[in-house]
Amino acid sequence: MIKIKISTRGRYGLEAILDLAIHVSEGPVNLKSISERQGISDKYLEQLFIALKRDKIVDSIRGAQGGYILSKDPGDISVKDVLDVLEGPLAPVDCIIEDKENQCDRFEGCVTKVLWKKLMDELNSITESVTIGDLVVCFKDSNKEKEIEYFI
Amino acid sequence: MKLSTKGRYGLRAMVDLAVYSTGEQVPLYSIAERQNISTTYLEQVFSVLRKSGLVKSVKGAQGGYMLVEKPERITVGAVLRVLEGDLAIIDEPAQDSNKSSGSVKSCLKIHVWDKMNAHMNCLVDSLTLEDLVDEYRKINSMNAPMYYI
Repeated sequence: MIKIKISTRGRYGLEAILDLAIHVSEGPVNLKSISERQGISDKYLEQLFIALKRDKIVDSIRGAQGGYILSKDPGDISVKDVLDVLEGPLAPVDCIIEDKENQCDRFEGCVTKVLWKKLMDELNSITESVTIGDLVVCFKDSNKEKEIEYFI
Repeated sequence: MKLSTKGRYGLRAMVDLAVYSTGEQVPLYSIAERQNISTTYLEQVFSVLRKSGLVKSVKGAQGGYMLVEKPERITVGAVLRVLEGDLAIIDEPAQDSNKSSGSVKSCLKIHVWDKMNAHMNCLVDSLTLEDLVDEYRKINSMNAPMYYI
């Protein structure tokens, strides 16, 4: 019934990428360990990581000690980068995606598309402004002190 | 991430109603015609809108629907919540097994999901039907042919 949603694909994918970013300092991270820590099935993670590798968010390292690493600095990977791969554009309606094929014949006179466009732009600016690096800092800070203070 | 047709069509129909209901009820078939939405579908949507007190119906041959309040007092958020339910960017898991403040999930919640929810709700609550009516008039005056007498 509620349709403005990020699916489990985007959510689990972000949880997995964050987990990877936290643990990658110890070497390549295998999906099994992410699966255990985050409670996501490793079969599902495999699917997500195929897409994440294809779009160069992660790289895979072969071998006995193999696993995944981030292909960029965590500070250079935004939440939007990850969601774009796993969810596609955060558009509540198709017609506002920059792709003429999705436009309906009422597009020119449509009032509500202005609203949806605005909503999409706002959501994108949030996901663009938060990086995986920020989330790693959040994780480390809250595990260090267990008491979080926010400075705005 | 998609709005259902109920939310999209319902909001469009409410804007249409706000434009054409100048103190009088508007029959659903005329909204259906202008917006190219089936009357049967609109009947379902308007039954939900009526139960939640956003519109009222006038029975009879000249019957139809009208807004209960002025368009500037009805927010887009109120209409969408009636038709779509709570506007949240993710489904909160029924039981979060990993509630500790230092978890991966809580960092994502604080820095991503809660922010997105807040912005989305703030945006739809800051916009009223009147704002969309203004937009409608602007678009339609641009598209309408000019008449000189």
